[in-house]
Amino acid sequence: MTAIDPEIHALTGAYAAHALEPAEQAAFERHLERCPTCRQEVAELRETAALLASAAAEPPPARLKAAVDAQIAVTRQVPPIVTATPAPAPDRGAGRPRRRWVTALGWGLATGLAATVAVLGVRVADQQNQLDQANQRDAAMAALLAAPDTRADSVPVSTGGKGMVLASRSHDEAAIAINGLTKLPAGQAYQLWMIGPSGTRSGGVLPTGDNGTAGSVLARGLGDARTIGLTIEPSGGSAQPTTTPIMLLPMPV
Amino acid sequence: MLGRSGPKSDTAEAVATLESCLHQVALGDRGAFDTVYQQLAGPVYGVARRVLRDPAQAEEVAQEVLVEIWRTAGRYDPARGTVRAWALTMAHARAVDRVRSVDASNRREARVAEMMTEPPFDDVVEAVEAHLDRQRVRHCLETLTDLQRQSVTLAYYGGYTYAQVARLLETPLGTVKTRLRDGLARLRDCLGVGA
Repeated sequence: MTAIDPEIHALTGAYAAHALEPAEQAAFERHLERCPTCRQEVAELRETAALLASAAAEPPPARLKAAVDAQIAVTRQVPPIVTATPAPAPDRGAGRPRRRWVTALGWGLATGLAATVAVLGVRVADQQNQLDQANQRDAAMAALLAAPDTRADSVPVSTGGKGMVLASRSHDEAAIAINGLTKLPAGQAYQLWMIGPSGTRSGGVLPTGDNGTAGSVLARGLGDARTIGLTIEPSGGSAQPTTTPIMLLPMPV
Repeated sequence: MLGRSGPKSDTAEAVATLESCLHQVALGDRGAFDTVYQQLAGPVYGVARRVLRDPAQAEEVAQEVLVEIWRTAGRYDPARGTVRAWALTMAHARAVDRVRSVDASNRREARVAEMMTEPPFDDVVEAVEAHLDRQRVRHCLETLTDLQRQSVTLAYYGGYTYAQVARLLETPLGTVKTRLRDGLARLRDCLGVGA
């Protein structure tokens, strides 16, 4: 019988990083079966490694989706494991608008969050022009993501939700996403503000989704804005903020 | 269950979405799979590309993994980690397997120069979160010692075994083994994983 290497516990890191030779990996997997502490550590280091993967995320070529869809259409799934108390699963995906950017945004945001797009200082989203805007926005997003000085930041919204921004000075653009906002009563709207040394200008009323929460904005023409503010205003918006900001998101560039 | 990002619980809802979507995927829901694809295709492809370098091979691996997610969604066990970690562990393992196959290593030498034009992330939130992940990971990598950082990045992004890492760094095997473990553990604490 093989003696257990006392150092085998130290292999958790190498195992989580897939850095073991096959024989050593097999030995460590046998060890894992009887070492709950190692299993816990491996699970945590794998979650950590997953963040290393997330940090390497890159948009795949568009054709990948079509290839995957074609293949899963002819791939039989292994039977689902039936549990005594299945997790509640919201009926997501059905009845959603199929336009790519709408579905993408809706899915990227939290459950039930609808999203629309406005291009600040250019034009506000208009139902008829959404597709054009999607193309325009895709191109703008690509440029923004490619800019070497693009930085991101996020802060909580004091009344619930989270504001996120991706901004580049060289492109003079910021993509702003507000996630999980509380639904407002009729007659009120969320309004964005661009706040800088030369004053505060409106960034437009946040487009409102089906369920009263709303989505993301690509802002062009940052000017001297240092902070992105969010207030609750009468629907239609105000010329200047009339309430205390519920979010002050520093421009990361 | 292990949180994907612990104290930064802002991604908690997204995690819940991925978990419940995968359950729907196991039941054959193509719409739910689109959601999973939306959230995971970027990191799956990205990590494969980081390890393999060659975009064409990364694309093949990404396709295999995404189809495998569809095929084996019913076998995902939440007790063993998040959907994201499950999927990205699979993606990383497959990319590494390819690197270590002779065929792949030959092709890897002839690295395809640079990417053709790519479509953008069509999702602001995904893009912002990827950026935030990148910033946080970069920041946390900086908190490691040089040897920890080199060990982790060579093993994880480089796809090297720890024995190869030891040779590259001219460092004893046992040291690299330990640095991989305590380096990842320090990253875990810095990133707030499992808190």
